[in-house]
Amino acid sequence: MNKFKYLFVSMLFLVGAMAVAQEEEEAKDEKKPGHYNENKFKQLYEEFSTPNTYRSASGAPGPDYYQQRADYKMNIELDDKNAKMYGEETVTYYNNSPDDLEFLWVQLDQNVRAKDSKSPLRNGNGVNFAYTAGNFANTYLSEPFDGGFNIEFVKDANGKPLSYTINQTMMRLNIPKPLKSGEQISFSIKWWYNINDHVNGRGRSGYEFFPEDGNRAYVIAQFFPRMAVYSDVEGWQNHQFWGSGEFALPFGNYDVSITVPADHILDATGELQNRDDVFSKEMMKRFKQAKKSFDKPVVIVTQEEAELAEKGFSDKKKTWKFKATNVRDYGFATSRKFIWDMQAVKMGSKDVMAVSLYPKEGNPLWEEQSTKAVAQTLETYSKFTFDYPYHKAISVHAKNQGMEYPMICWNYGRPNEDGTYSDRTKYGMISVIIHEVGHNYFPMIVNSDERQWGWMDEGLDTFMQYLTEQEFGEKYPDVIAPNSNYPSRRGEAAKIVPYMGGDQSHISPIMSNPENVYQLGPNAYGKPATALNILRETVMGKELFDHAFKTYAQRWKFKHPTPEDFFRTMEDASAVDLDWYWRGWFYTTDYVDIGVKGIKKYYVSSKPTKEMEKYMADRNLTEADLPPLVYLAEEDSEDFAPELEGKVPSETSQNLKEFMMDNMTETERTQVKEPKYFYEITFDKPGGIPMPLIVEYTYADGTKENITYPAEIWRKNDEEVKRVLSSQKELVGIVVDPKQETADIDTTNNSWPKKEEKSGFDKFKENIKG
Amino acid sequence: MVLFGFLMLMSFVTVHKYYLSVTNMVYSEKNNTFQITSRIFIDDLEQVLEERYGIDAKLATSNEAKISDVYVKKYFQTKFAIEVNGELAKYAFLGKEYEDDVVICYLELPHINLPDLQSIAVQNEILTDLFDEQQNVVHIKWNGKQRSFVLIKENNKGMLNF
Repeated sequence: MNKFKYLFVSMLFLVGAMAVAQEEEEAKDEKKPGHYNENKFKQLYEEFSTPNTYRSASGAPGPDYYQQRADYKMNIELDDKNAKMYGEETVTYYNNSPDDLEFLWVQLDQNVRAKDSKSPLRNGNGVNFAYTAGNFANTYLSEPFDGGFNIEFVKDANGKPLSYTINQTMMRLNIPKPLKSGEQISFSIKWWYNINDHVNGRGRSGYEFFPEDGNRAYVIAQFFPRMAVYSDVEGWQNHQFWGSGEFALPFGNYDVSITVPADHILDATGELQNRDDVFSKEMMKRFKQAKKSFDKPVVIVTQEEAELAEKGFSDKKKTWKFKATNVRDYGFATSRKFIWDMQAVKMGSKDVMAVSLYPKEGNPLWEEQSTKAVAQTLETYSKFTFDYPYHKAISVHAKNQGMEYPMICWNYGRPNEDGTYSDRTKYGMISVIIHEVGHNYFPMIVNSDERQWGWMDEGLDTFMQYLTEQEFGEKYPDVIAPNSNYPSRRGEAAKIVPYMGGDQSHISPIMSNPENVYQLGPNAYGKPATALNILRETVMGKELFDHAFKTYAQRWKFKHPTPEDFFRTMEDASAVDLDWYWRGWFYTTDYVDIGVKGIKKYYVSSKPTKEMEKYMADRNLTEADLPPLVYLAEEDSEDFAPELEGKVPSETSQNLKEFMMDNMTETERTQVKEPKYFYEITFDKPGGIPMPLIVEYTYADGTKENITYPAEIWRKNDEEVKRVLSSQKELVGIVVDPKQETADIDTTNNSWPKKEEKSGFDKFKENIKG
Repeated sequence: MVLFGFLMLMSFVTVHKYYLSVTNMVYSEKNNTFQITSRIFIDDLEQVLEERYGIDAKLATSNEAKISDVYVKKYFQTKFAIEVNGELAKYAFLGKEYEDDVVICYLELPHINLPDLQSIAVQNEILTDLFDEQQNVVHIKWNGKQRSFVLIKENNKGMLNF
């Protein structure tokens, strides 16, 4: 044989069919312009900042990582009659950064409620052509609430006035000389403000008024001027508090005295220092029991006692003293109305108290479920991250909000007046408690910057919430009956489909500032939680994911991580390249849609196919010039002949038979399992996100085979890929993503033969007909 | 903090309940009908049944009032109207089911021949009697095309000419 020709033929088979196809296409089209690297599997060098000595490429804190520290000593007094809060604080600020700071920034979150706040002006609105009288009066005739900090003084350590400048919710302290690297500074601030009604005015902090008994229940936070974060990433994080983007705070130690009416029950961030002064003997006795009660809560203040206290309105005062170490914020709750229960939870070598505070309006639901949910949260979250480091976790009942602070959070879930409650109220309450107590881990301890990245705490927390809800359901089957699994509202892939498949003009990438997204719920909570759930269950597998996630939590506990620290750590600890996943799910608004486009059936033949004949004719070759070849004839083409059916390849291809006789022993030949059926299947991907191609093949004998092709199958063609399947059994069905675990937004293209997919409407209509 | 539901959004300083319903009207060529699904918060629907008709419906519980379907239907007939080619058209209320904190109502508008369709108008005042801020989003889908309206109390009707 001509050597040149032989080489040519070899090359043909080496280069493969793709090169041929490309050649044909280019001949038809105009020459296309060049392009940048647009591959979906390109590494995220442009999106990620360059690693440095503060933050390592592995995703761990670098050798020069630093963080600032702020210690607070505060005296707070609540004027219950007039709903005012007074305070004086001394802040000691440690500059651990390598930079000299010419000024300091202090956060004045209460100013978002000041009369001159810009926050209500930040959204556009148009004139309606008609208003209801009430709506008009609310908008144009009512006086705004007189909120915001009244700063009485700012003084330096020697008691001299310190110059300051207030810009909305941020106060710049104009210190006389720069605070050098390694130095510390102390200053004092005296302030007061009017406490808002958090139920009617809506707020994370404030009071609820109970007209039946004339009491208020206070849940108080963002109540004192707090240091802003200075870091290697943002410098001063002094982005204004507009209302949606939450908080960024340095860690520090707190020494806080809170004076309230003597008949109030109060709990707060930190360890109570004067329990003997504020507890009755009976409460003390019950508290000691609670510390040993690991299976159920012990009531410290009973409903009867709380109902009696409601009527008191004492003029006397009581001061509760707390110390908290290494926390990033401070919150407390106080009222005459509070019922109080606690139980102990084993956490490694120490015990943590799970605590609930609630007015009688929360019962019977709260005495049944709150502390139970707190305990479950501590157990599950600790398993996936680190042992809960504080000594207690408190869940306080507030009417209609859920909000988190270190060791303490407020949660909704109120029964009807007659004490009955629906399943929705119950599950809503358990879920919000898990969520808010869970925030102790993200962001109270793994202290990400909420002002910039809402998803880093909300998304991770909502993901962990899902795992905890499921474990809660396993532990308390009687609470969730007749459901067999806890009905989680977020977490499962299918639940994010309506959002990701929705109107693109109202979706933002997860990597957006919380102030600038259209729908914060799915954007910062639902989508990142689902993305992590899919990553865990479908892309990485539980073992690799759990180890990497735990590594992230442990690397960054009591530190300030960025999104890249999370993304890098997940790869670093697992050896799974995830740049494509972060890009698709976190940096874009792309969605998942993968389908089966077509299938061709082939038979092995001795006769050259039409395509091969043309190939030979074009190059002036005959079969004799070529090495022994095996051909595949497509069922619907001219190449097909009925006698090819039902035979094995060695029967229909003389070349193959001879090859087998020359190269295989007789035993080998009898043992070989020759496939009878050959299929070429085309999968297409109308969606932008590459995902593993999960395929269920069903054969004529009813058996199924599941093959998962890794997401990398899309790396050279983002639109469609082909796979050849050979089998001894006839293929009768193909389903892509049979368990709906990828959040595929359109499943009408997921099956071959195409299933007439019934719409939800048709299904409902059929059901009601019976 | 926590956000309530998919349809809620943040306002001023914290969570603010967002008063919203979403109605999909999809033309089914096979049946010559518009298949209509209307998604409403269970809490909101329950409140309107109570305030308007004095029905303690206990929706989505095992004690749901048997009569509740009758009143939901009645409420739709009062607050949700469709005009086809300028004339009030009759639709069937098929029933409802629950998904998380949402009730899905199923309605069907029969005998619609697409070539004969000149205009379709939807008046959706669901829950506007209870909440001033109520927004009712209506998506009409036919032949792969889509048109959407956001209807409010003061502007409660959307009209589509074919």
